Amino acid sequence: MNAYLRARVPDGAFAEAAAFARGAALDWLFVAKAALAVLLTAWLAMRLGLEQPSTAMLTVSIVIHPHSGMVLAKSFYRALGTLVGCLAALAIVGAFAQQSVPFLLAMALWIGLCAGGASLHRNFKSYGFVLAGYTAAIVALPVVNHPQNVFDSAVMRVSEVLLGVFVAGLVSDAIFPQRLGNVLRESIRAQFAGFIVFARESLRGALPRGDLEQAHLRFVREVVQIENQRSSVVFEDAGVRVRSPRMRLLNHAFMAASTSYQSLHHQLNRLQDEAQRPVRERLMALAGELGAELAPVESAPLMGPQAEALTRRLAALRERFPASIAAQRQGLAGRAERLDFDTGAELIGRIVGELHDYAQAYAALASPQAARSPAEVPAPFSRSNDWAGFLIAAARTTATMLAMGAFWLASAWPEGASAMLIATAFSGVMATLPDPLRAVRAMLVGYAAGTLAGLLCSYGVLVRMDGFALLAASLLPFLAIGFYLMARPALAGIGSGYLIAFFSTLPLKNPMTFDALAAINSSLAQAIGVVCAGLAFMLFASASDSPWLQARLLRKLRLQVASVCRLPLAGLRQRFESASRDAAAQIVAHTRAGSAESRSLLAWSLAVQETGHAVIELRKALAATDAPAALRAPIESALAALAMFYADPGHERYRRARERLSAALDEARGHAPVMAPLHLIRLALLDQRSALADFVEPPPQENPHAA
Amino acid sequence: MPREIALLDALVPGLFLVFLASLALQWALDWLFGRFGLYRHVWHPPLFRLALFACVFGGLGLIAMR
Repeated sequence: MNAYLRARVPDGAFAEAAAFARGAALDWLFVAKAALAVLLTAWLAMRLGLEQPSTAMLTVSIVIHPHSGMVLAKSFYRALGTLVGCLAALAIVGAFAQQSVPFLLAMALWIGLCAGGASLHRNFKSYGFVLAGYTAAIVALPVVNHPQNVFDSAVMRVSEVLLGVFVAGLVSDAIFPQRLGNVLRESIRAQFAGFIVFARESLRGALPRGDLEQAHLRFVREVVQIENQRSSVVFEDAGVRVRSPRMRLLNHAFMAASTSYQSLHHQLNRLQDEAQRPVRERLMALAGELGAELAPVESAPLMGPQAEALTRRLAALRERFPASIAAQRQGLAGRAERLDFDTGAELIGRIVGELHDYAQAYAALASPQAARSPAEVPAPFSRSNDWAGFLIAAARTTATMLAMGAFWLASAWPEGASAMLIATAFSGVMATLPDPLRAVRAMLVGYAAGTLAGLLCSYGVLVRMDGFALLAASLLPFLAIGFYLMARPALAGIGSGYLIAFFSTLPLKNPMTFDALAAINSSLAQAIGVVCAGLAFMLFASASDSPWLQARLLRKLRLQVASVCRLPLAGLRQRFESASRDAAAQIVAHTRAGSAESRSLLAWSLAVQETGHAVIELRKALAATDAPAALRAPIESALAALAMFYADPGHERYRRARERLSAALDEARGHAPVMAPLHLIRLALLDQRSALADFVEPPPQENPHAA
Repeated sequence: MPREIALLDALVPGLFLVFLASLALQWALDWLFGRFGLYRHVWHPPLFRLALFACVFGGLGLIAMR
């Protein structure tokens, strides 16, 4: 039968069907695990007599994720955020127990600060911040008329959340775990193999600027994604935790190699003129030598031994490379030609070294000795944060809470607190997503469906049931719908809205109270809260739809060059590479792919990478040689002009930077190590295909009286 | 060890402190296992971790509450 099937169906279709079946099986495994965790939590919460088992169940549905590392990381930060939020609630209630206005003000300020703090982080830490904010409100608001109960309320909240967190972590990590560590290993392997193969293929010929931009976009995504996965996997796997410094080194090595590599291609692309043909051909010959060493590497399984072999080959190449450079340099007559050649040759030489380091870091990660901490302590992954983002997030959340709170106090709406809470919570949580308005819309759809499902389940099914087994049986189909939605990436937002609304509509309290009217009232209030969160996002711009914020992000990216000109050299390269990529990744997340903004961002990002990298090399070379003050002064003034241009690009500043660079180049003649990076900076500044094309004008030699 | 302890005037079960101590011990053991790669000899590392924690907490609890 099997052979018959195989004979008829082409292999590709077979593999496709198998992959589809495997994906579907994983989805349903997730649904089963999530439902099991929710029901187990419900049973335990009932056994332990917690006030609101539905909060514990809600916690499970919030932290649950197909990969156990994500669950553990999110659980950790949810637990931490809840504890901090409870402490804040105790403090605020203790200070303003009898004053409603200062109470609301203090609460709104606290939540706003937490939402602002969340905007400074990219992983689950930001979720922890948001949670610390609105947990304070969740704990304090129900007891606002009986402040003496706030401690009990806090203890209950902590118990319910911790119970949910523990059960979710246990079920997802111990029963058929889908390890995030495997995903991370696969990402790292794909990054390595992808880069080596990309380098080998593109060393054969020219790479148009558009392809370079796409490659850069991919590298930026990979770097940030691996860093984020790494920060979650450390909760799942002790083996990864001890290897974590090496993974950071690997990521830094990758960033260094890819930046140098892009610089090389910019340099090759600039040598397109017929006059520069000899230089270009000699550089291509050198690059071909490197490409030949990369040739035996396949994109398929690329494991430790292969990487070690590559490391050895690259080490040998690094040894003999100066001789190759000298051989190619012979016969180049003109000074300009030699300068172009030296600049390119030094770049290739540096790429050989950096690829060697990258391959070595990769091989070391695979070897058993990787558990030993590396000799070099890796710099942390620097983030590029904007205080405007902090202030807007804080102001949005605080204003939402104050507006809803004022409405609540003025109208004495019984459910006003609930609407205020939901609006505040969502305006904090959604702010960290790329497109908050779309997320709010998905959440609203999910809310409508979840409320209907909850009402149907409570007053159509549960009223006829008795005992926990029947309760579980009647919840199961409704839960399965929600978790299946969560397992599909495109529908995850709707799924989580559905589950939140479902759990808050359920009458699962100790003791159970069936009150359809109260349930409908509170669902309505919560839906209004979600709508108000959406309004808050329309009023207070998020980076996705505000050109002003996008321009700020872009400025932040360009300022990386300015900081590279100024900051102390120690660890500067690693800081620059990670922060500039983090800045680029943020703008990528907030712009539509292929749009004009996205193209302009990528062009600027490439220019920043190349110039920043060359500036660091220049400063390193300057620090290594005991250059005379006569050389130092013009270079420093050129760097200052360059920093000013990148901080705020303009024609006047551009001209000054170019003039000072030329002057510095004249002074640097004869200092080869300083000369090459300086020349590269100047070439990058003059590149007509780069983001600076608007500023590159023909040399000012026309008649001054012509105008 | 008393069954309940007053922490800042809030009564908490004595076992809670034992639980915190076991978490710390578990963290150290987990680090050691990861450092020396012992999890490679284990069929189901998360389950092993869980069982180890049950043993640590159970053992410490029995000693403390004897």
